[in-house]
Amino acid sequence: MAVPIEEPTDETLVARAASGDDSAFEVIVERYQARVFRLACRLTSETDAPDVLQDTFLRVYQHLASFRGESQFRTWLYRIASNTALMHRRATARRPVEPLDAFLPRFNAEGEHAGAPADLQVASHADELLDHQFLAQKAREVIARLPDGYRDAFVLRDLEEMSTEDVAQTLGIAPAAVRQRVHRARLMLRGYLSDLAGVKP
Amino acid sequence: MNEIVCASGVELLMEYLDGILPPELRAALDEHVAGCPRCTAFVASYLATPRIMREATAAALPADLEASLRAFLRARTNAFRSR
Repeated sequence: MAVPIEEPTDETLVARAASGDDSAFEVIVERYQARVFRLACRLTSETDAPDVLQDTFLRVYQHLASFRGESQFRTWLYRIASNTALMHRRATARRPVEPLDAFLPRFNAEGEHAGAPADLQVASHADELLDHQFLAQKAREVIARLPDGYRDAFVLRDLEEMSTEDVAQTLGIAPAAVRQRVHRARLMLRGYLSDLAGVKP
Repeated sequence: MNEIVCASGVELLMEYLDGILPPELRAALDEHVAGCPRCTAFVASYLATPRIMREATAAALPADLEASLRAFLRARTNAFRSR
């Protein structure tokens, strides 16, 4: 019978891999491949994600020796994955998309929400109102319609749940700019979900 | 002093949730939202949006892709050679 053993930490694995233990690198790949693929899908597309996945782990392998342990390994890996995804996206011509400004919240002349409370909260359970497959399809489409800067900040901050500071470092922008972009993206997506569920944003 | 209406309140939500709003603005926003059914409803949907989008975009790694990743890394590194 197998004896349960403690899982080695990322940092232990990286140190072993950097000193030439390739089996440690394999464990790192197995541990993170699903997460890197998910991130790549969110920042590029399902078509480009396989290339991003491969290039990310190749770069990680090539740069293991330069991981200094100043940040968590996970943060370092996500930064490489994000940069790889963004490079792939820049290499692909962006198709013209319809802007999402129409989904921003609406206010009356006094600055009050234009909608009724019942309509305003519909997006909070859009996932219960909509077919799962349909929502997954629409969610992929709408993320690709966000302005690039909003998409990157929203994906890293809200979908990958990185801290505002880590997102700022990864994207090379100020934390205040991250917050502003994430906020705008949330507003657009919230309105989009409302619209999908059949009410005005 | 900090007169908040729905429109100006919405613009404070991100900083509020990141915990960096000055205390007096924070209190003013709390007070407005508590007394405004529209904002209460709006905030609920604003808060739910990241979760709904996260769950809806959680793509699973296809098994064949896992195999091709291994093959790719085997060809370019010393890893995955023994498998």
